[in-house]
Amino acid sequence: MPISSFYGLQTSLRGLLAQQRSIDITGHNIANASTRGYSRQEATLTASDALFIPAGAVQNGAGAHLGSGVDVQSYRRVRDTFLDLQFRTQSTALGGNAARSEALDRAELALAEPSDDGLAAQLAQFWNAWSNLANTPEANQPAARQALLSQARALGDAFGAIDAQFQTVGTQAQEEYDATIGGELKSIAAEIADLNLSIKKFVTAGDSPNDLLDRRDALLDRLSELGQVSVSNGAEAGSIIVKFGAGGEPLVNDAGVNPAWTASFTDGNGRLGGLLKIATETIPSYRASLSGVAEQLAGAVNAIHPGFFGFTAGTATGAMKLEPLLAAGDIRAASGTSPGANDIAQAVAALRGGAADSGYEAFVARLGTETREVKRQVSNGEVLTRSVDDRRQSVSGVAMDEEMSNLVRFQRAYQASARAMSTMDEMLDVLINRTGRVGI
Amino acid sequence: MSARITTMMVSRNVLADINSAAARLDHTRAKSSSGKELTRPSDNPYAVARALRLRQTLEGTHQHQRNASDAIGWQEATEQALSEITEAGQKARDLIVQAGNDTATPASRTAIAAELSQIIQTIKEHGNATYAGRFLFGGTETQSPPYPAADATDAYRGNDGLIAREIGPNVSLAVNVTGPEVLGTGQTGLLGVLRTAVAHLAASDGAALRDVDVAALDGQLDRLMGVRADNGAKSNRIESALSRLAQFEESTLSQLSETEDADFAQVMIDLNSQQAAYNAALKSGANIVQSSLMDFLR
Repeated sequence: MPISSFYGLQTSLRGLLAQQRSIDITGHNIANASTRGYSRQEATLTASDALFIPAGAVQNGAGAHLGSGVDVQSYRRVRDTFLDLQFRTQSTALGGNAARSEALDRAELALAEPSDDGLAAQLAQFWNAWSNLANTPEANQPAARQALLSQARALGDAFGAIDAQFQTVGTQAQEEYDATIGGELKSIAAEIADLNLSIKKFVTAGDSPNDLLDRRDALLDRLSELGQVSVSNGAEAGSIIVKFGAGGEPLVNDAGVNPAWTASFTDGNGRLGGLLKIATETIPSYRASLSGVAEQLAGAVNAIHPGFFGFTAGTATGAMKLEPLLAAGDIRAASGTSPGANDIAQAVAALRGGAADSGYEAFVARLGTETREVKRQVSNGEVLTRSVDDRRQSVSGVAMDEEMSNLVRFQRAYQASARAMSTMDEMLDVLINRTGRVGI
Repeated sequence: MSARITTMMVSRNVLADINSAAARLDHTRAKSSSGKELTRPSDNPYAVARALRLRQTLEGTHQHQRNASDAIGWQEATEQALSEITEAGQKARDLIVQAGNDTATPASRTAIAAELSQIIQTIKEHGNATYAGRFLFGGTETQSPPYPAADATDAYRGNDGLIAREIGPNVSLAVNVTGPEVLGTGQTGLLGVLRTAVAHLAASDGAALRDVDVAALDGQLDRLMGVRADNGAKSNRIESALSRLAQFEESTLSQLSETEDADFAQVMIDLNSQQAAYNAALKSGANIVQSSLMDFLR
């Protein structure tokens, strides 16, 4: 069977086209070198179907396969889905701890300890004021009583201010939680549902929509920061079912965004879980501890000087209130009526260093320990997340040096294919223009 | 295949390293500028709790020092009044001895009686001595004189209440001496003895003056000395409490400083080495991120 003289031209053309596509892909990679969530792509080349020569092609009369060049088989997205899973697990843990760390940081700042005007200093001044009253208990020297009353008010205000700040931290966490559920989460879910639809179409048609897949993966990464994500394949090729949080109903299913999904997060997982834990567990528990200290203080002082302090525990909407109920003139230094006696003032001053002080110290130590623990977890989490992301980047990221050397490689291959084509052209030139012109 | 190092990885890691070096540097800089090792509870929760406890102890010590100073003032005023009373008592004794002589005439005894009455008033005035507007010898009735000058019965109007000052943790000291211990009340005590002597003088009873009054007055003066010695002992106790408090203050301060304050030598060394590490991170970051294969391809 004769083989066409133009056969080699076609082979070279395939080479030219394939190298051109490879250069296109390299350009695409370089262009997206700093795109978040982009996975590098490569053109998978295979030798094209050979030309089969039935018989007599070779010396022993057998048939043969004559190579016909190269074809682009697919444009492949280089990605390791196992690393994606690892990254998302780390990202969920980090998201929760980061949210808690930010809130605890603010709670810690509200305490302003150790300092010369924190609550501990106010307590010390309060005991001093009682001691000063013990030194000048006479009713006709009102300065000590007035000073005691002002100091008692300042102490009550300090308790109230810290409680109010804690309350604000809790409220802000709750607000961010609500806003994220109602806003960002909704839009991410809707976008994933849209991408599902498009990807399904392409995959059904046999295509691989690489950039759409990247975008969907980036959204899943973002989602994993907010809460626990688990992804499974949908019934139709290309679509995925996304479970989010601890609830049983998926957030996105084959049909789109699932209206039956309910928000439920366990154990501070993900930013949303962390915010929820701050708003419903951590902050209420801190406020209860602080209230405990204030109530203990009011109880101890009132046991000696009945009716000195009024205490109202904080509620979800209001800060706690600790305030002196008496006018300065009604403060009594002694149980009897003698103007110089000071047994009550002495007894209250002797409460210094007692349960109220140690209760507050223990509370500061607890807040400090928990804050430090969460900060430690955040910095650990950052290192882990970064190292998983490094491994992911190592597989999927664009390496400029590699793209440059590929560019050189593909360009050379293109030039060589072109050279093969011109060789073919010269050959045909000889055949067409110079052959059979004997004697002309 | 060895791990691929991608452009994003390099730049992100360089950035993260520079950030963490800067954060460390910032933390150390905060320490050096504030002079404090502890700025927030989470720096070292245990040490912060300890620092709070030490600060409370220090405040308490300062207050005890103030209380003790006040007690010292009270003691000094008491001692002053007691010494005046003793002096007056001595003068009264001299007069009584002089009047007890058989050479004394009824007229001279009447004159001495008048002088003795003046001395009684003087002693009562000292019995009403005050410190910062408070009567010293009235017990806790500090706002009314314990021996009103107009009251010739010399009845004590105060009470036996103790005025306490806290001069140490759980150390409370009664700083006052009550009137009956010093001057007695009504017909008992120093005033009673002097009033009796005046009566004897008026009656010109030389024997009674010699035999009864001098001895009785000596008894009272001895008692007064006992009260003064007691008061002096209290002063010593307060003085030694003050010096204990000063030592305690110093040791608390040094513990607090150890807990709270930054170790400057350490901080400076840290600051310099972290500054160097930060510069190195910046320099290597700038070099690595800039060069690529592109620089070497034609």
